[in-house]
Amino acid sequence: MAPNGFATPDHGIEEGSVEIAAPAREKERRLADWLGGRRSVVVGYSGGVDSTYLAVVAREVLGRDRVLAVLGRSVSVPSDQVRDAIALLAERDVPLTVVETGEVADPRYAANPVNRCYFCKTGLWSVLGPMAQSSGFEVVIDGTNADDLGEYRPGGAAGREHGVESPLAIVGLRKDEVRDLSRARGLRTWSQPASPCLASRIPYGTAVTATRLAEVERAEAGLRALGIDGNLRVRHHGDLARIELDARILDAWLDPDRMARMARVCQAAGFERVTVDLAGFRSGSLNILDGVVAA
Amino acid sequence: MTTLESRLRVEGIACRVEARDRLAILVPDAGQPVVLRGEIRQRVLAVAREEGFTHVTLDTRGGSAALPRD
Repeated sequence: MAPNGFATPDHGIEEGSVEIAAPAREKERRLADWLGGRRSVVVGYSGGVDSTYLAVVAREVLGRDRVLAVLGRSVSVPSDQVRDAIALLAERDVPLTVVETGEVADPRYAANPVNRCYFCKTGLWSVLGPMAQSSGFEVVIDGTNADDLGEYRPGGAAGREHGVESPLAIVGLRKDEVRDLSRARGLRTWSQPASPCLASRIPYGTAVTATRLAEVERAEAGLRALGIDGNLRVRHHGDLARIELDARILDAWLDPDRMARMARVCQAAGFERVTVDLAGFRSGSLNILDGVVAA
Repeated sequence: MTTLESRLRVEGIACRVEARDRLAILVPDAGQPVVLRGEIRQRVLAVAREEGFTHVTLDTRGGSAALPRD
């Protein structure tokens, strides 16, 4: 058994190989208690750091038959991300259902207001809630962590309106702690950069369309194929792509030859003009540009 | 010519500045390679912030080593 009392996961990485701070271990124990107090859970799953960790821990605590992860698939989620997310839970024997979400067809979402995420999540939870109820699951949970509570996240309001609970936040687990605990479990997501949906690359007020999302997806996939790792965003400014690279590699990619390669990739993806942001990746970059602040 | 463009030219950075709201797009002069790394890049960002821009982005066209457009 692992020190927290869970069955030791069969991931091929020695459990004790990662040092976990006592507060994080304590929070994980409280998470296990919280989950153990539920008859069954549906996990809103994205394949990201938080929801992966949550789904795996829920599977460990509750067993296979009392957990169902649900992944929303749409044109706003990169297809390789969906593929990886499906494979990851299969490796961990976590039951998974994929539902098609049609947020882009919702005019309130497609208009791309600052609370766009609210409409996306409303659509998602409107599907998951009845699904959970009809299948006899007690509660729907998501991977919102304690750090998320201090950020501008209109999607969180949709969750609260639909009775979605956020056990990571409830027990106070922060992002860095979730990463450490994921690493201890051998989850490859532990070091995964944040990967918000493709619509986050489109400035507020500019319509979210399948075409624009596809341009961003192709450009980012092409840039990854050039060997760019870490944080990467292609911000969509109409005719212009603004590439944000991880600060760690930015200077190296401001090389003229490499810039030419990036330009070709993004032009092939559909952008007329290609630029590289001189500050590099910034989480919520378009919020800064649009002057959006946390409510 | 924008104030930012004037200030960058004083700093020896030969580029045109297009402003889209608070986004500054630096377009290198034709035939004038512009390499903005390390301290020079930080200096450009600082000057742009002083001029009210929150984002500065470098166009891959123009003088940046005569980048091919194919």
